[in-house]
Amino acid sequence: MNDDYLWDKTGQPDPQIQQLEEILGTLRYQPKPLAIPNLAVPRRRNYFPLLAIAATVLLAILAGGIWLRMRPRNEVPKQQAKIVEPAAPKPEEKPVKPKSAVNQPVLATNRIHGKRSASSVLRKREREEALMAKEQLMLALRVTTQKLHLVHTKTSPATQIKNQHRIG
Amino acid sequence: MYATADMLLTSAKAHAAEQSQEPAIEVVLVRAVLEGDRDGFAGLYDLYAPLVHGILLARVPRAEVDDLVQDIFLHAFKKLHTLRDESAFGPWIAMIARNRAVDFHRRSKVTVEINDELRGSDTHDSKAREILELIRGLPEAYRETLVLRLVEGMTGPEIAARTGLTAASVRVNLHRGMKLLREQLGFMEGL
Repeated sequence: MNDDYLWDKTGQPDPQIQQLEEILGTLRYQPKPLAIPNLAVPRRRNYFPLLAIAATVLLAILAGGIWLRMRPRNEVPKQQAKIVEPAAPKPEEKPVKPKSAVNQPVLATNRIHGKRSASSVLRKREREEALMAKEQLMLALRVTTQKLHLVHTKTSPATQIKNQHRIG
Repeated sequence: MYATADMLLTSAKAHAAEQSQEPAIEVVLVRAVLEGDRDGFAGLYDLYAPLVHGILLARVPRAEVDDLVQDIFLHAFKKLHTLRDESAFGPWIAMIARNRAVDFHRRSKVTVEINDELRGSDTHDSKAREILELIRGLPEAYRETLVLRLVEGMTGPEIAARTGLTAASVRVNLHRGMKLLREQLGFMEGL
């Protein structure tokens, strides 16, 4: 059996296949005009600009994220230096230059903080001395109490009776 | 008889030779339609209507085929901009046709059966329909290829080029499908 006729209609024709073609050919497609309604011709959408914009935004977000991560390590000391510098103005500039809103609280807090810290140091020492004095006083009172108690026991009549046998 | 290596090589060469021309035509037509030329789609319709007709004939009742062919090409016209590879218009519309046939059976199974029975007693080409029914009873891989070859008169290389199947698989499907059909036809008188 030769398959060429079945494959591409070349070679020796197969009578059975020819007969099938003849019979089934009646069902073959009959050309009919295609009725396309008056629709707009579809256009292919170009997604490249949208993709480019999306990629740019994504890159910007990534760069921003990286910058935010790196920023605190490098720039925070500079900001601190900027705040501290105006906090110690020269004494000559004081009457000439009005106090800025930024500097004022920094200076004020520093002064108050300085006084408070000095007084607190003094108070601490006084407290410690007072506590020591109190302890010494309490110790002295305790010793006195003990001695008074001893005197009292020795001079009381009950103890005198108890000690009679020893004397007698 | 199975295809030998020489036969496959020869057919592959013929297939490649045909493919080198055919895709160029469909690519030009698809591009023309996407650029606004409505007549270009008529060219695609003329080229691929037999393929769609054959695919549907292997799956749905004959009375429904013509309307479905029109529907499929209308759908293809609306969705043509979604086709990424212009040279794949054939496989793309073949897939639309197969899916539409599945949808048809899902929606109107009862109607199809009644229509087939009614038409069987009226028409002159009853023998053709009997053979077509036998082909429809074959495994899916064989029935489409056999209908395209025996009903639509397409050659093996044409079927391969338009459906996107390889020439080897079309050849195997034709050979095995024909063998099964011959066995089925052995029970029919006059063949």
